[in-house]
Amino acid sequence: MKKRLWQIFGPVIVAFLALLILLFAPLNYSHFSVKDEKKAAVALNSITFKNQQLKKQALSDKKTRYVPFFGSSEWERMDQFHPSVLAIKYHRNYRPFLLGRRGTQSLTQYFAMQTILPELKNKQAVFVISPQWFVKKGVDPGEFNYYFSNLQGTEWLDSNTNSRADRYAADRLLKLQGEDKKGILTNIYKRVAEGKSLTKQEKWEIYLEKVVLEHEDQLFSRFQVNDNYDRRILPKTKYLPRQFSYRNLTRSANRVAARQTTNNRFGILNSFYSGRIKPFGLKRLKGAQRNISYVQSTEYSDFQLVLNEFAKLKVNVMFVIPPVNRKWAAYTGLDLNNYQEAVKKIKYQLKSQSFNNVVDLSKDGGKPYFMQDTIHLGWCGWIAFDKKVNPFLSHPTKAPKYKINNNFLSKKWQRLKPNNANLKEFK
Amino acid sequence: MEKEVLAILENILGEDLSNQMDDNYFDNGLMDSMATVDLVLALQDKFGINVPVSEFDRSKWDTPNKVIERVKELADN
Amino acid sequence: MVNFFGNAIPNLQPYSDPQYFVYLLIAVMPLAIGLYYGKRFKIYETIFSIVFIVLMFTNDKLGQGVALIAYIIWQLLVVGVYHQYRIRKNNSLIFYLATFLSIVPLSIVKIMPTVDHGAQSIIGFLGISYLTFRAVGMIMEMRDGVQKDFHWWPFLRFMVFMPTISSGPIDRYRRFEKDYDHVPDRDKYVTMVGKAVQYIFLGFLYKFILAYFLGTIMLPEAKQMAISAGKGLSWPLLYVMYTYGFDLFFDFAGYSLFAVAISYLMGIETPMNFKQPFKSKNLKEFWNRWHISLSFWFRDFVFMRMVFVMKKRRLFKKSTTYSSVAYVLNMLLMGFWHGVTWYYIAYGLFHGLGLMINDWWLRFKRKHLKWLKPNWFTQGIAIFLTFHVVMISFLLFSGFLNVLWFVKK
Repeated sequence: MKKRLWQIFGPVIVAFLALLILLFAPLNYSHFSVKDEKKAAVALNSITFKNQQLKKQALSDKKTRYVPFFGSSEWERMDQFHPSVLAIKYHRNYRPFLLGRRGTQSLTQYFAMQTILPELKNKQAVFVISPQWFVKKGVDPGEFNYYFSNLQGTEWLDSNTNSRADRYAADRLLKLQGEDKKGILTNIYKRVAEGKSLTKQEKWEIYLEKVVLEHEDQLFSRFQVNDNYDRRILPKTKYLPRQFSYRNLTRSANRVAARQTTNNRFGILNSFYSGRIKPFGLKRLKGAQRNISYVQSTEYSDFQLVLNEFAKLKVNVMFVIPPVNRKWAAYTGLDLNNYQEAVKKIKYQLKSQSFNNVVDLSKDGGKPYFMQDTIHLGWCGWIAFDKKVNPFLSHPTKAPKYKINNNFLSKKWQRLKPNNANLKEFK
Repeated sequence: MEKEVLAILENILGEDLSNQMDDNYFDNGLMDSMATVDLVLALQDKFGINVPVSEFDRSKWDTPNKVIERVKELADN
Repeated sequence: MVNFFGNAIPNLQPYSDPQYFVYLLIAVMPLAIGLYYGKRFKIYETIFSIVFIVLMFTNDKLGQGVALIAYIIWQLLVVGVYHQYRIRKNNSLIFYLATFLSIVPLSIVKIMPTVDHGAQSIIGFLGISYLTFRAVGMIMEMRDGVQKDFHWWPFLRFMVFMPTISSGPIDRYRRFEKDYDHVPDRDKYVTMVGKAVQYIFLGFLYKFILAYFLGTIMLPEAKQMAISAGKGLSWPLLYVMYTYGFDLFFDFAGYSLFAVAISYLMGIETPMNFKQPFKSKNLKEFWNRWHISLSFWFRDFVFMRMVFVMKKRRLFKKSTTYSSVAYVLNMLLMGFWHGVTWYYIAYGLFHGLGLMINDWWLRFKRKHLKWLKPNWFTQGIAIFLTFHVVMISFLLFSGFLNVLWFVKK
């Protein structure tokens, strides 16, 4: 009988011990190849976005300088003028590491950054801030939970200093987390939101959880990178003019775009129009955006969290504000004055805190072949993007001295309809 | 009585089972829930014995021999 | 890792994460040692069960806990009173009334969200359907005169048996009681423990690795792809179908393995719920291998009874009509049980019609295709077809088509 019991429980004990060693030993289990890094930088899937180890390794690579490009769905528009293609073709001294997909807004970016804090410190970054994020309630809870992971949560708790920004972030997190994500860390988030400091035991719990999750991340992240690099990026380099000049590029962009925008009167890429707009019915979309406003939104405070983090880490970051397709806006009834009001508010929030590297493309949505579809840059738009971003990244400088103003975390700011007088209250 | 049971089974399943008295006819797909109800009803008609469907524990009724055994048991009561 | 000794009372959902097993296995240890030495510590077992059930309903789930207690009292009353009545008389109307009363709470919980824009009823709690099956089964067995006695304590013990309280498998009272009153001999118990360990590890593989990979990593990605691909048929939609289908299986089969394993450790042989369902050669076989305890419950308490009553009254001329009608009604009811939404009902109807067609085909084959002998090729086709019919039904069941077609984005 003893022998039988051994046969049953022996393997269990061995497995248990092996698991303990695997999860808690202070080892790093993963190393990625140069090719892995290249693929991850343009993979744009949620796995790469949530993953830690791959990003850490790529962003601290000594040979290739990967620069995080934060944003959302625009990175998916991979024509040959896309920043990733240009950087490869013209042998730039940096490579974009694309971070963002549809629905990755400020708060998601903020929590995802938590997994790469040391890699961001004192470096450069590009951040595309889309006014479309600034809908009334900010990020959609479903989208947020899709990109949020407990690893982000523990890393965030680990660096939490009980500041006003931390309390705000904890509060937002609790409100957005769905029932199914409620778990062991929820009570700790609650304490942070209430402004209580964490006990020794809680810190210990966070630490253990963090070690386990980091190891999980190292162990299971390797087989989830896709082949965007070989399929959608590398082949496009051969369509670009051999000799780099913006004149050549622009000529090429105009030529290509003219050929690809023949089935509609909005200057939208043919495949986008026939795949996404036509099946839905063009008529149904007439005036569909009439009541949209981006001026009052929780997103403004979520965005402030991102700014706080950049300031804390002294990241020299360039912000890009994209336009909307003007013909499309006219057709769907989007109020461009309102759009400009939102842009004004975003720019005020940036500049008043000394985030001075702001590229405002928001008025360029009517230029020919600037937009690939309804709201995303393409062809000439990417070239305009490159004109500002390339010099900024090719000759790195130190970050300006940021002056953080926590009043941007207030409800009052979220709801403010900006004019010259009331903006002064947020000096 | 054995013959009568076999006749009932043949009638329901469309096959003479007299040479497979201990084969599990649930396992080989011959008998299913429908046939079970037919069997219960036929036994009720023929022998006046009452087998509630919820009592019908398949493992006790899964071969011709077992059916005969059960019928004997229940008819004695 | 877990805020167990911290400020708040923990909330433990059964088998939801690996840590749950650490607590559960430690707590079950004394019971196992007792059984090994031929003793069942009934008082300890009761306390153990209560503690783990209470921990399911702490914090914001307190309301559900109260609902559970009220529900139990209700069922004890309904079953108890019906039992008193059944000793004396056996009127069909009273039987229908008792069954109806027993199903009322579940019906309210299921219908409520449909009439009230998705609001969850306050009388609902995790596991209400499974408890209802146990109570209704009891009433039906009393009606048939198979279940003659009724004692509230053993009945309660059966109803809220901790390992299976939230999602089955659905055991039967008499089978359960036989196990409970009797301690397996040492040889048998050690065999059960061996199986339990095997099931737990297989469950880990299913639930925490495969279902995690499928459900948490692949499925959301697949859904996003399918939504961007548009409303029609698309490759990503197919991808959603497979991913969801396998996720459903591994998640639920994993869960069931845990429930069976913990029952075994407690010396109770709870029936298995899955038996390699994807290798079924036809839809009927599929339902003998998929969520077995549920489909057998429906078979014994709905399908057979329905056919029995219909046949006794000779409702139809053709004998095949009985099975067709019963299949469709039976599966429709199962659909409704999952919830009152178009896709659950469509799922039920789909399987009802599927079983009908399946039956028709088997008859046709027996009559006209005698020459067709099963070989690896025909069986391969049969498995492939059955598998895909099932997968399509799961896609319906997932509700994703609802999101894809009708939910405004």
